[in-house]
Formats: sequence, structure tokens, C-alpha cells
Amino acid sequence: MAKKSMKKALKDFWFGKPHSAEEGGRRLGELYEDKTGLYKHREWRGVKDTFYYMYMIWGYNYLHMVTDILKYSNNPLDFVKGTWRYRWMGQTYLPVIHWFDRGLQGMRGEALRASAWHYRAMVSASIQQICNFFNADTRLHKGKENEAFRHTILANETTCGTMFYPWMDAGYQYIPLEMIPYFVTCHVNSHTVLNYIDAVQSIGLPGDPCPMCQAESGLFVLDDVPDAAPFVITCNEACDASVATSTLQDWFINRPLFALPLPMQFDDPLVKKYCMNEIEECWKFIEEQTGEPFSWESMVKRLEKQNKLQRDEWEKWEVAGRTDYYPVNGVAQALFRIFSTQYGIQGDFWDEASEKVKKIMYKCVQKKINSFPQTRHRVIAWSCAPLYFSNWCTWAYNCWGLNVIINMDSLMFDMEVRTDTYEHMLEDVATYHMWAPMRRMAVGGMQHIFELWENMEKFNCDMVAMYDQLQCKGMQGVHGLFEDEFRKRNINAFWMPHALPDSRTVSRAEIRRQINDYMTTVMHEEPLDPSLLDFDDSMTW
Amino acid sequence: MKKIKCRIAKFFLKLLGIFVLANAAIFVVFFFDLDGKLMFNVVEPFLKKHYDNMERKDTLKTPYDMDKFPKYEYKN
Repeated sequence: MAKKSMKKALKDFWFGKPHSAEEGGRRLGELYEDKTGLYKHREWRGVKDTFYYMYMIWGYNYLHMVTDILKYSNNPLDFVKGTWRYRWMGQTYLPVIHWFDRGLQGMRGEALRASAWHYRAMVSASIQQICNFFNADTRLHKGKENEAFRHTILANETTCGTMFYPWMDAGYQYIPLEMIPYFVTCHVNSHTVLNYIDAVQSIGLPGDPCPMCQAESGLFVLDDVPDAAPFVITCNEACDASVATSTLQDWFINRPLFALPLPMQFDDPLVKKYCMNEIEECWKFIEEQTGEPFSWESMVKRLEKQNKLQRDEWEKWEVAGRTDYYPVNGVAQALFRIFSTQYGIQGDFWDEASEKVKKIMYKCVQKKINSFPQTRHRVIAWSCAPLYFSNWCTWAYNCWGLNVIINMDSLMFDMEVRTDTYEHMLEDVATYHMWAPMRRMAVGGMQHIFELWENMEKFNCDMVAMYDQLQCKGMQGVHGLFEDEFRKRNINAFWMPHALPDSRTVSRAEIRRQINDYMTTVMHEEPLDPSLLDFDDSMTW
Repeated sequence: MKKIKCRIAKFFLKLLGIFVLANAAIFVVFFFDLDGKLMFNVVEPFLKKHYDNMERKDTLKTPYDMDKFPKYEYKN
């Protein structure tokens, strides 16, 4: 008996404990300290994976965060000054490694390696943006408008980076205005954004509009946005609630501003024509402001890299849809895709990560390595995800064997932009622009919202995780239609209520409870890891 | 020659010792999430206090200069 348990202990030490409770499980929920979500100790994943995590993910990323700052910052002291000046910087980005921990919990082998490369690229892109902000910010340079300031194009985060490629050869860089102060912060440290939501409500905004627009406006109310460019381009984002954000931005930024609309009913050819005109107007506005002409060469050079990244993604989706050998977990897939398509090509980090992931993926295909062996259901996640709990997919796999294969945000921009003629390029950029996040398949018309069914088939999924953004008036309006379709088509689907960035409205524990209820009462299944069913992480990042 | 060899061996042993100790220390920080605990219990509260007490411009007093910049004329 003692020999047997010794053998098991040695096996657990060498390979890590097995996943499921029946096999003597790893009980990941017991690693957490109460409330804070900090670890009593990090997970022991077996010798190889624990040390891979320690050196190649934890240590590697800490080290590369420093080298990235040195690489992208004109003066590293500006980075320190920026951290001291901006709440979204200091409060959010220091605990970034915990963001890795949450997203990669329980991952082993190739899944751990491939998913972490997606995270690495996102961290690198974030640091580049942060440094670009601080290099140009007049607040950190005694009000001086330096070269970096004069070479920055500031635009709303849902205006894709593609739009600004023509000026990049001339040394201009594009910073998505809210991507770092708002969007990424919610994933890394969900506490920060609450300050901005409260700030805008404190000046009289009611609590029920989309909390994304609230938070983005709140940044300006708290005067927490760098003054980093001589002009700005705004847009109505996913829905018209953001028109109000644009108005507030016009007021508070107090710089020349071009409002570039994102039309909703983009299938209408006349709407598309209108959108193409608006894009050309925007380009003329940039030419006027910068004094630099539109460069076709600069545009094509980057579009080709963007198209290559798209083709890479199609390769990955092919493997994800047709086999069990796709090694990237749900959260790493989703965030990499939305981040890279919005930020665009402004460095080699996306391509480098993509190549590394493809290499791992083909190894899995050749050697038939199933990185998610405990998969019980292949899940497609639809609509807009809770930013404060984007790692729910990791939890759902660990707890229930729900493997999120693909999600709506990844699928929005699945197109190449033609570069043979200016007219084709403009037409495709307009389509790409109109297929913005939370737009194409969320509020872009019924036929697009219901693209779910064909993607379910394409990715060979048997279950739907339906996000239910409680303050999104667009998607709330079609809740019943989805219910009807799920019944008609006999599809297993669960709803996940949330309030995008605001973790106070629906807590993570509540989201977990809803999924637990569905899995026990409807699916009649037992959890793989019962320790993850219920735990208190109310104070966690 | 023997002395030199001995010194070199000692030097490398010392180096190895430092390497092992440094790695052990890093492992302790990593495994017991000491970096997370430091951020959560010390760094974040300190920075939060700083940001909460920071003097900020009352942005609502910014005049909404509708006519500050010339009216934009569409070119198309």
C-alpha cells in the first residue's frame, strides 16, 4: 500500500496530478487564498511544465517586459513618470503575470506553450502602446509637443489600425485611444475600470447605458488620458451609445477631431459606398493635419503582413475545426485575435507569435497530441464576452471539460484586403472597418447574428456559450429569438449574464454558478474538478 | 599549476553555488506567488492611495469650444 502511494506521489511529482476527480485530481480550487484569488502556491504541473512555466513564461515575461520598455521607450524615465501619473497604468499593468496565471491555469504541455505565446504577443503590443503614449504625452514633458507627439495618430480603439498604415513609413504611429486605458485593463485588473465608470456617473450619467461607453467617457472625466497627438479620430464604436462618448471626447480632448462613422447595416451597397467616402475623407483629414500624403507603398507593405496573419489564422481554424489537436485555449485565442486585428501591424510580435503557435500546432497534428484531453463538449462562445472574466473558458475546461474552440470576436474580420488596385483596397478596408468588434455579428443585422449556426458546424461544436451583456440594448433585443432557435435546433446552450467591464453587476462567482447549474440540472454531468465549483474570488484582479 | 586548477575549480563551484541559490530563491518567489502577494498587498494599495489623492483638473470646466477649429469641409 505504502509502495503504491509512494509510486503515485512520485508520478504526481514528475507528471503533475491528473485532471479529473476520479483519477485523484489536482483540485485547483484549493490553491486559492480566500477572496483575493492569490495563490497559496502556484500550481505544480509536473517537473517539466512547472519549470517551463517558471522560466519560459513567468520569468521570460517579467524579463521581456523590461526589455520591451527599453526597446519602445524613448526615455525609460517617462515610463516611470507615466506609471505615477496614470491610474490605468500603475494599478493595472504591474500584476500582469497574474493575468497569465488565470488564463493558463491547469494547462499542460503544448496547450501551455502555445497559449502563452499569444499572451506574450499581447503584452509586447501593450507595452509598445504604453511607451508610444508616454513618449508623446505633453503632460509628461512639461507641456512640450515633441517629435513623438507630432508623429502620433490617436483614434478610437474600434477604428482598426489598418486605416493608418499609409502614414507609417513616414514615421507615424497609431495609438488606439482606449485600448490600453480601458480594454486591456479590464482583463488584467478589473478594479481599475470601476473608478472611471463611477466618475462618469458622478456627473449625472444614469447607470444603465453600456458600461464600455461609460468607462471610456469616465477616463476623460478623471482627466486620465495622455495628451499624445495633435488631432484625434473618433467613431461610434459598436453601437450608437458611443456617439455620446465621441461628443465627450470632442469636448475634453479639445483638438481637431474627425468623427468616422461605423455604419450598422453594412450589407447595403449604398451604405458601403458612403463608408468608403467617409474613409477617404478621414484620410484627407490626416493628410491635412500631418502634411504627409497617403502612401500606397506603406499601405500595401503592411496589408500584406496583415493578410499573412489572416491566412495563418485560417490555417489554425482549419485544425481547430476538424481535429482535436488545436493547442490554443479559448481565452488566448479570443484575445490574441481581437487585439491583433484592432491594433494592426505595428511590429513583428503578432507574426512571431503566430509562427511559434503554428509550429506547435503542426507538431500536435503530426504526433496526434490532444492538448485538451478532458474535453467533454466543444463550445462556441457567441456575442460579447465579460472582460473581467475572459478567462472563464480556462475555468470551464478545468471544472467541466468545456473546451471553447472559437468565439464570435475571433470571427469578425475573416477576410484579406486586396492590394492589386486602390479601388479594391478601399472597398475591402471599408468592409473590414464595418466588421468592427461587437458590430458585425452583434448588431449588424439578423443574418449576421445568426452566423452562429454555420460557425457551429464549421468548428464542429456541440454547445453554445451565449454571452448576455445585460446593458447591451442591441443583443438584449434578440435574446428570445436565440432561445427559440436553440429549442428548434435542439442545441445545448447556456447563457452567461455579465456587464462587460463591470464586475459588480454580475460577479465571477455568479457566472460560475449559472454554468454549474446548467451542467448539473440540464446536462446531468459531474464536475471534473469539484474544488472549482464554488470559491470566493470577489476581490481578485 | 595544480593551485591554479584548484582555484578555477573553486571559482566554478562558487559560481554554481550562486546559480543554484539564485534559482532556488526565484523558485520560492514563483511557487509561493510572492510577486502576486507583494503587488496585491503592498504595491497596489500604495498606488491606489496615490491616485485617489492626486490633484486632478476639473475637466467639466473645460469650455466646449465648438468653433475653436475651422469648420470641416467635405472634399468628396
